[in-house]
Amino acid sequence: MKLLRKTFFRLLFVLPLIGFASNLKAQSDPTGESPATRTYAITNATIIQSPGKVMEEGTIVITDGLITAIGKNVNIPSTAEVLDGTDMFIYPGFIDGMSNTGADRPQSPERPDNLFTPDPPNYYAGITPENQVVEQIKVDENSIEAMRKVGFTVSHTVPYGRMLPGSGALILLRDADHPDKLILSEGSSLYSQFSGAPGAYPGNTLGIMAKFRNLYKNAELSKRHTELYASNPTGISRPTRDRVSEAFYPVIDKQQPIFYNASNSLEARRAMRLQKELGFNLVLGNLQEGWDLADEIKSTGSKVFMSLELPKEPKDSKEEDKSDEVKRLEERRMEFYKKYVSQYAELQKAGIKFGFSSIDARANQLKDNLLVIIENGLSEDEALAALTTNAADLLGISDITGTLDEGKIGNLIVSKGSYFDKESQIKYVFVDGDKYEYDLKTGARKAEDGDTNPANMEALIGSWSYEYTTPQGTQTGKMIFKNESGILSGVMTSNDGTPDVDLQNISFLNSELTFDFSVDAGGQSIDIVVEGVVDGKNFDAEASVAAFNFTFPIQATKDEA
Amino acid sequence: MLFLCTSVLQAQTKKGDVLIKNGTVITITDGTQENTDVLVRNGKIDRIGKNLKTPNGVEEVDATGKFVMPGIIDAHSHIAGTSINEATSQVTAEVSMEDVVDPLDVGIYRALAGGVTSIHLMHGSANVIGGQNETLKLRWGSTNPEDLRFEGAPRTIKFALGENPTRGGRSRGIQPQSRMGVEAMLRNTFNDAIKYRDAWNAYRSNKSSRKVAPEYSLRMETMVDILEGEVLVHCHSYRADEIYMLMKVFSDFGIKRLTFQHANEAYKVAPELAEFGASASVFSDWWAYKLEVYYSTAYNAAILTKNGVTTSINSDSGELIRHLFHEAAKTQKYGDLSDNEALALITLNPAKQLGIDNRVGSLEKGKDADIAIFDNHPLSIYAVPQMTFVDGVKYFDIENDVADQRIYIDPESTVEDVQILYSNDHDRCMEGANVVNFTDLFNNK
Repeated sequence: MKLLRKTFFRLLFVLPLIGFASNLKAQSDPTGESPATRTYAITNATIIQSPGKVMEEGTIVITDGLITAIGKNVNIPSTAEVLDGTDMFIYPGFIDGMSNTGADRPQSPERPDNLFTPDPPNYYAGITPENQVVEQIKVDENSIEAMRKVGFTVSHTVPYGRMLPGSGALILLRDADHPDKLILSEGSSLYSQFSGAPGAYPGNTLGIMAKFRNLYKNAELSKRHTELYASNPTGISRPTRDRVSEAFYPVIDKQQPIFYNASNSLEARRAMRLQKELGFNLVLGNLQEGWDLADEIKSTGSKVFMSLELPKEPKDSKEEDKSDEVKRLEERRMEFYKKYVSQYAELQKAGIKFGFSSIDARANQLKDNLLVIIENGLSEDEALAALTTNAADLLGISDITGTLDEGKIGNLIVSKGSYFDKESQIKYVFVDGDKYEYDLKTGARKAEDGDTNPANMEALIGSWSYEYTTPQGTQTGKMIFKNESGILSGVMTSNDGTPDVDLQNISFLNSELTFDFSVDAGGQSIDIVVEGVVDGKNFDAEASVAAFNFTFPIQATKDEA
Repeated sequence: MLFLCTSVLQAQTKKGDVLIKNGTVITITDGTQENTDVLVRNGKIDRIGKNLKTPNGVEEVDATGKFVMPGIIDAHSHIAGTSINEATSQVTAEVSMEDVVDPLDVGIYRALAGGVTSIHLMHGSANVIGGQNETLKLRWGSTNPEDLRFEGAPRTIKFALGENPTRGGRSRGIQPQSRMGVEAMLRNTFNDAIKYRDAWNAYRSNKSSRKVAPEYSLRMETMVDILEGEVLVHCHSYRADEIYMLMKVFSDFGIKRLTFQHANEAYKVAPELAEFGASASVFSDWWAYKLEVYYSTAYNAAILTKNGVTTSINSDSGELIRHLFHEAAKTQKYGDLSDNEALALITLNPAKQLGIDNRVGSLEKGKDADIAIFDNHPLSIYAVPQMTFVDGVKYFDIENDVADQRIYIDPESTVEDVQILYSNDHDRCMEGANVVNFTDLFNNK
């Protein structure tokens, strides 16, 4: 009997712990992990309320999710947790103009039979504008924390998919137990991209452009028909339910913009071409090649979220006796690198007010890229505006966030040192008035190509046996990682005799390992991105093939040395 | 179709002024004139004559000892396109190459270096009714696809007969699996278009304020425009029987403007083509790359010409496009065509087939100043293009031929990987028809 009671008490003790993971904000929290208060005061900090508006030695108070006081002499409520802001810089939380943050990439749709038809099923063709991104959002998506820890507090998240994946939503990058609690607003955009359906119509840009026009035109007709019927149904054929057309109604009414993922200049021009023909409100997202587009962006009234992805700086060959031709080619390559990194300043000069989007970029590269953009002509204030006020304006949320003012949402970044200082680190991020704290790292900053901390690197260095399964069967082989004077390098071998491939963009931070590689498929280069977590001798990851919108799991175990 | 065209802003393109002095001017329509000047003002040919005065501020080009001819026109090209086939369905009349023009393709400059000033950027031949094509002027250097459009050129569309579309049908177990299926599909599609037109005409003539529109179909809109003669058909074809079949189909539906592309067996039905008024755009002397192109002859162009068929010689290739003047010259070896007949195959005749002969294709007062200058007679094997002008603007000059012509450069490219020639010189007609699939992706055999 005594034994039984002991067990019972243990159970009592354990049960709430089990509940904790799925119910963060339970009324009663025996773990003690819930914050004791939702009132915070950060004192004696440099507060950048908005670009160019700086307050030294200021205090900011956040109460129940909102900024309630900001100034040099403000009353600190007795319930507040007071944080010393000495040497700290406080910025409005960053806003991401277009990303998949928080969304979980769904399984690729199963390939139906009889695909060779002008009208394959919409779910396979990628024509699902009636879908809402909230259906893809998972509260435990890694990307939420990854983006939050680099300072982003709001994301315009768009769904994964093909040509018309659905509508986007503005989400707060906070912890919550249900996706609904992340939502700031839904239906922020109708998201569109130039992604064809593999082996089905529309298969490429040709079909996508035509299909878009056709859908839009029929949506206009369907809207007219529906309105006519609603006003007086007598004598009018009953409109059939058409959710695809209905999804366009707010676009036709200019209540909702179309966000086009237009990474290169030709895609951007095609999106603007559709805009000119059809007249909708257009936002170009993920723009990576905008330097020739200022005039057209202005003439179409398009809004822009520039990509935070940059090409790597080219390195000239070190050979002594380079030919003039090689020198010229290297010069031109550098000339174009400069176009990529200086276009932000150029567009700013041309009077285009843009925000930033992270959809093709990696969270851990964003700050480095931002600093490169600033080195190449964009001022810190302009960069901050793109991250905060511009983005808020373009997304229509400047009345609730984007600056540090009383009454706005408690979204802010507390950085030790100026955020724009290469060595600075983020200490706190507040999202919706909740505090997220980060450990300040001491010592040298990490090298750009990976984790140079030898102790950390050691967990990865060596040979790993991998395995993945695709519809074509199971592949096995080795991944070999090396430490080359502090830089990680890697190669992937295959047991079926395929040539080895070099692993690119290897990043190994906090047990998270990401890299990518290219394979040749019938003359077409296919990029595969692998992202996962190293846990001891196990690597559990997901590989994604953007070209096919396809993902598959990949596992590896470390070989005994 | 107003819906498509009206709201697209017309880009302002550069127009040049130049006096080309003292050359041998091959006009195509008015003989060959020696020691003659061509004056270009604001992109148009202003005067052709002897000892013209150089207007103030107009650049002179000395063409003494050189040959001045109309810019070459390629009626079948797949350069300057980011996609070629929407191969996922047998009738894709709604798609258009104008959406995928790639002004950054270095192939454009290579074509200019071969004296070419205009191309017909065609959809591929993977499906029975492919996409609409786009007629371009090679205004190299712009990053805006709009700048390359041949403004005012009629719309054209690609059809395809024979092995290419039936191969797709057979491999997928759907229509068409044979030439009979191709014909049935064409007739069915035109009949659908007539029904579509009737439905919309009834809607338009309905005076009720409470009328309900039929479903809109960009595909059927295009088919209706073909029926109404607004879109010229360029049909991929090889065999005489299928060529004859299409003329019968078009007669039945009252469609008049028809050009057969490739048309290797057109020589067998040359009088019938002439009677119909159809024209042909052919290769000079290549065939036997598949069964349906077996019964071919290098005399094809000459036989067609002598039978009164408007005939052109095309490249269908990013390599051949650089020496279409050689291709034209072959008709003098195979068929004894005159200089003028041979050069018309790559100038005035393709212009007629594209409906742009009022603007280009010959050197005449009032026409666009699209001009090529050669050091020898262009039909000579020694001829090398020297300069190429579009709208009077010089886009190629052999004296100033910068090696690296790329307009956009990938900063992450390796310098060693820069290639002088790349795969665009391959036949792109079926590109995209075999979509890379997962079997290819993960199968390394």
